[in-house]
Amino acid sequence: MNKDKSDFDPFQITRPDRVLLKHYMIQALFGGPLFPILALPLYFKYETLKYRFDNDGISMSWGILFRHEVYLTYRRIQDIHLTRGIIQRWLGLSTISVQTASGSSTPEMSIEGVLQAELLRDFLYAKMRGSHQADDAQTVPSGSSAVGAVQQNARSATDLAGSGATGDDEVLLLLREIRDGLRAMAGNRGARQ
Amino acid sequence: MSEPLRDASRWVYRGVWSILLRWFHVPGEPPTLPVPSGERLESFAPSENWLRYLKLNFWILFVLQKSLWLALCVALIIAVPLVGLLLTLPFLAILSLLAMMMYLALHLRFDTTRYVMSSKSMRIRRGIWVIHETTITFENIQNVSVSQGPLQRYFGIADVVVQTAGGGGHGGGQPGHGGNMGAHFGLIEGIGNAQEVRDRILKQLMQSRSAGLGDEPASSRRGLAMPARGWQADQVALLRDIRDAVAELARA
Repeated sequence: MNKDKSDFDPFQITRPDRVLLKHYMIQALFGGPLFPILALPLYFKYETLKYRFDNDGISMSWGILFRHEVYLTYRRIQDIHLTRGIIQRWLGLSTISVQTASGSSTPEMSIEGVLQAELLRDFLYAKMRGSHQADDAQTVPSGSSAVGAVQQNARSATDLAGSGATGDDEVLLLLREIRDGLRAMAGNRGARQ
Repeated sequence: MSEPLRDASRWVYRGVWSILLRWFHVPGEPPTLPVPSGERLESFAPSENWLRYLKLNFWILFVLQKSLWLALCVALIIAVPLVGLLLTLPFLAILSLLAMMMYLALHLRFDTTRYVMSSKSMRIRRGIWVIHETTITFENIQNVSVSQGPLQRYFGIADVVVQTAGGGGHGGGQPGHGGNMGAHFGLIEGIGNAQEVRDRILKQLMQSRSAGLGDEPASSRRGLAMPARGWQADQVALLRDIRDAVAELARA
């Protein structure tokens, strides 16, 4: 079902797969005689559904008459739910529901129609708060007892990058000068008495 | 239950499983989490006693419902013998078939509920028709609670409920019932070592300084014993030197 991991690039995803339309139509069929009424909005949702994954978050938009556009940042993700109904499994589809810390129980974003949903889910997981797989490998030795603390420091260090690195050295230099000055003063006074 | 009957039911169950795996695409292997190489994943399942607990619940409900329906059927047969018999027999057959399916579903529910935990996050899989997988990082957890009813205590099992920020309903009633997964919480149900799992989650949570929605800076929380954040050891040593020099000055 899933293709090789190496050729999965979430930044390339802009449109849901064609299978999603099939799934929408099957969903509408369950409405029986209401099929046309149910199918039309779903058809338009499929036709206008767009995703954009960038470095900070996901943008999702759909709708013709009533347009919706949702943008959420990876770091605000609270929990990720991957849901696969029986028909979805037959078609190879999944729904990834992404939740932030808002007051509602309905997910902020439901990503539908991505065939490699598990890989996308793991991509989102790696980007969300508290996983930090990517930068951990480079900066933090795993198995440390205070992983969180080290992470925090690593994070603030990168935030300060540019200004902070030289700033610390300057502080050190300044403090050293003050100490030397004070010492000299203390020495002078001792000599005078 | 006699031995051949047990074998037969086991055989039927295995058949059902293979159908689920092949045609209904139920994943056969437990869920995993992406972890850095070298780290161990802890995968666990609900306790056997959870299945017994579910079965006991089932039988209690079964007896209550069945006696009610049976009483109604008997009343109908006495009132209108022929029509009553024609109506009640198929009805009872359907009822027993449903009960058998429910019993089977208990086993399937037990076999498809799986949990996995890494040092940073946990994942819960649940469901047969609709498979839910919830991923929550420990950093996002707001509170962890353990709940146990009297029957669950008898079986020595408990549920661990993990909640993340944000409210909203649970999508219908209590977390454990109906097996539905609401938003903003993860339910680890029917495990024998609930306290242990709770403590593990809490430990991971404490280690992270920015758990929840991000706390106030750690330095102000922990008092003066910790060196201020942003200062390095040699800087602090220098400051101590300065303090000593000033003290000397003051004495002189």
